[in-house]
Amino acid sequence: PISISTMGCGNEADLEREQQARVALREQYLRSLIAMVGHTIHFTMYERVNVSAFFDASDIDILNFQVSDLQTPLGVHREALLRCSDIISYTFEL
Amino acid sequence: MSEWQRKSPLEWQTYVNKEVKVTAAEKHEYKGWVLTVDPVSANVVLVKFMENGKVCVSVILGHAVQKVEIVNEGDDEMKEQLAHLFMPEESKVYGH
Repeated sequence: PISISTMGCGNEADLEREQQARVALREQYLRSLIAMVGHTIHFTMYERVNVSAFFDASDIDILNFQVSDLQTPLGVHREALLRCSDIISYTFEL
Repeated sequence: MSEWQRKSPLEWQTYVNKEVKVTAAEKHEYKGWVLTVDPVSANVVLVKFMENGKVCVSVILGHAVQKVEIVNEGDDEMKEQLAHLFMPEESKVYGH
């Protein structure tokens, strides 16, 4: 739903410009997700929880990340879903 | 929804290719070059070029972003570097 917010009463040229910006921004973000696949990702979660895992996939709305070999203070989970609402940031190296 | 999440794609685009300092939830701070802002989640993708030649990518989730300050406007060289980071090889050749 938040993805379809627009400037409202803007004219067609404004909407077109906004749509072009949306496309360019989204394409780069999706490419960054592809680049993450198979890398170890470090997640900073709320309440000072830090975990790391291999990134597998995300849903289209970026609500959940599917990861494997999730290293947690309580042990390793072979497969897991992380809710993006629990994550503050994630970091990886290329 | 936070102020950052409510911005329009055109507003987010003004941060692209600039060096910023992001203040996030629980007093976390991040610095790097903005590669993009996902228009769906408002996630900010920051890139840092390390001395060992590696590239460090940090993404701050849109819901956790509290403040974004521009610290360096950047130049064409940085823009080129960022544009090519995640692009497939063919596009790099095609682009020139």
